[in-house]
Amino acid sequence: METVLTGLATGFGVALDPFNLFLVLAGCFAGTLIGALPGLGPINGVAILLPIAYGLGFGPESALILLAGIYYGAEYGGRISSILLNVPGDAGAVMTTLDGNPMARAGLAGRALALSAIASFIGGTFAVILMSLFAPTLASFAVTFSPADYVALMVFAFASLASLVGKSTVKTLLGATIGLMLATIGIDANTGVPRYTFGLPDILAGIDFLIVVVGLFGMAELLTLVEHQVSGKLKALPVDKSFVRMADLAKCKWTIVRASVIGFFIGILPGTGASVASAVAYGTEKRISDTDKTFGTGDVRGLAAPEAANNAAAGGAMVPMLTLGIPGSGTTAILLGALLMFNIQPGPMMFVQRPEVAWGLIASMYIGNVALLVINLPLVGLFARMLTIPQHYLTPLIAILAFIGIYTIVGNPFDLLLITGLGVFGWFLRKLDFSLAPVILGFVLGSLFENNLRRALSISGGDWSILVADYKSIVLYVLALLVVIAPIWLSRRARKMEGDGNSKAI
Amino acid sequence: MVDRIFAGVLLVVTLAYAVIAFTAISAPFQYDPLGPESWPRILSLVAIACLLVILWKPDTEEMGVTRQTWFRLGATVIMLVAYSELYEPLGFILATILFGTTLCAMLGAGIWRSALFGVAAGVLGYLLCATLLELNLPDGELYEAIVDTFQEESS
Repeated sequence: METVLTGLATGFGVALDPFNLFLVLAGCFAGTLIGALPGLGPINGVAILLPIAYGLGFGPESALILLAGIYYGAEYGGRISSILLNVPGDAGAVMTTLDGNPMARAGLAGRALALSAIASFIGGTFAVILMSLFAPTLASFAVTFSPADYVALMVFAFASLASLVGKSTVKTLLGATIGLMLATIGIDANTGVPRYTFGLPDILAGIDFLIVVVGLFGMAELLTLVEHQVSGKLKALPVDKSFVRMADLAKCKWTIVRASVIGFFIGILPGTGASVASAVAYGTEKRISDTDKTFGTGDVRGLAAPEAANNAAAGGAMVPMLTLGIPGSGTTAILLGALLMFNIQPGPMMFVQRPEVAWGLIASMYIGNVALLVINLPLVGLFARMLTIPQHYLTPLIAILAFIGIYTIVGNPFDLLLITGLGVFGWFLRKLDFSLAPVILGFVLGSLFENNLRRALSISGGDWSILVADYKSIVLYVLALLVVIAPIWLSRRARKMEGDGNSKAI
Repeated sequence: MVDRIFAGVLLVVTLAYAVIAFTAISAPFQYDPLGPESWPRILSLVAIACLLVILWKPDTEEMGVTRQTWFRLGATVIMLVAYSELYEPLGFILATILFGTTLCAMLGAGIWRSALFGVAAGVLGYLLCATLLELNLPDGELYEAIVDTFQEESS
């Protein structure tokens, strides 16, 4: 407890610095904007703005605070287009459309927006509080992890990724493997042998993380926008003067608590971000409290549940990233890459070695959540107007921003061609139902995975049984097995029960 | 079908990757049980296994992209390549004006509005990023040539 309090004191010291405070606010504002624009989710927003934030030459804690602000600001903003346009701003906001849009169509847009802002605030704050309690404990436990345990942890991370993300397990696994393979390009740090460089000096140090991120997310997103380009304006429902009532909050209070808990713990699982969390929270809530069959027609609880859950998941995903160095979602994988660029190795030692970064980020999330609530309640009309920005201005703007960001890193025009190429590749992957988060997760974790495996075998002198020698690794392998088997078993059972129901009906 | 083509292409790349891992990469001397080649070998085997499963049981039949959309996507990619190629020779402002105007016009804005957008993006973008935020953006060879001759004249 004492470490938490001293840590938070350090953190607020960093986060309340006027410049950092400004960055939190700027990040949250920009994030809400990005989240509100249909199609541009948190991951694309962070990807496009990361190189620019890096190019500005801030300190690591300031840059991270800015990026994290954009990240959870975008999780907040996603609900605006879900409610007003019925087009989710990102994958995490899909569930919000189910009850949010009917409310708006019934003339209760203001009430829906205010309620979802409060639900998001509670979910987000709940996650940060749990995070500040859990993170130091988890970090001090993670210090005892041996290289073999880390290998097991990675296997668990990729197993939960494969089983919970995307439509097809094999495709997710392949995506992660492609990421890992991309990470092997460059000079091997242990022996100095160049791998897959084909004599090109540009990639001796490996493919730049920023190029992969901007190419796969920013440019692929741009091509998707062009593909789905709609002529004319989308019609946004007007924001009226109605506001959330105490009765609504009283009705949703347990919903929000349940959804926050679900969201936080699903967020912690590696690879599963806000989209899985909001879907599970909505499903659970529907099963528990949909007694009058009002879900899907504008029930306030059906709106509050996914919103509380996706913001709690955004916080939860930060926990493994900060304490273990293993990101909990695609976006946190990008944040982890950002830390690596600043030469900070995220993981258990970060709380000891760089407390100002770890705790500064946590403290900034407390401030950010309050700031988002304050920004969102009165300014929602302004964000709603942003929805009507025609796509033909937005799309070129993304390309221009991405180019500025990539060019400013080293000033090499070859990189611009590289991101275009990766964008085309990413577009094909998306088109064929591969999700891109596993690719980036694999890319970020590649060297960590490989180095721990090699270190473990060096310790044992080449004996592979070291990988299962410790109870921690065995527990992790069992968990990995469970996370793969459980969904298959559950869906089998569901199908079986459905079958029973049908046979009875006949 | 599309799945099979894509997986087939990736399989060729992965096989090349595997061949390099199994034959070309080796450390001249090493003390560790796993050398630089082991990890790529493991990865290539996993990737080949995944690809074979996809080839065996593909699940995406068609791309669902109309000819018109393909055309638009192709044009976008060509514009992006042209933008990359012209970035340094023309400089940020001119290249952005060109790129912004054409892409905006192709996506359905009127020609005058597109031109206005392109010029605004180029000029304001440069002022904001290069002047205010001090990011490194190309001035362009044209501009540099003018500055050079001007300096020569003044000296």
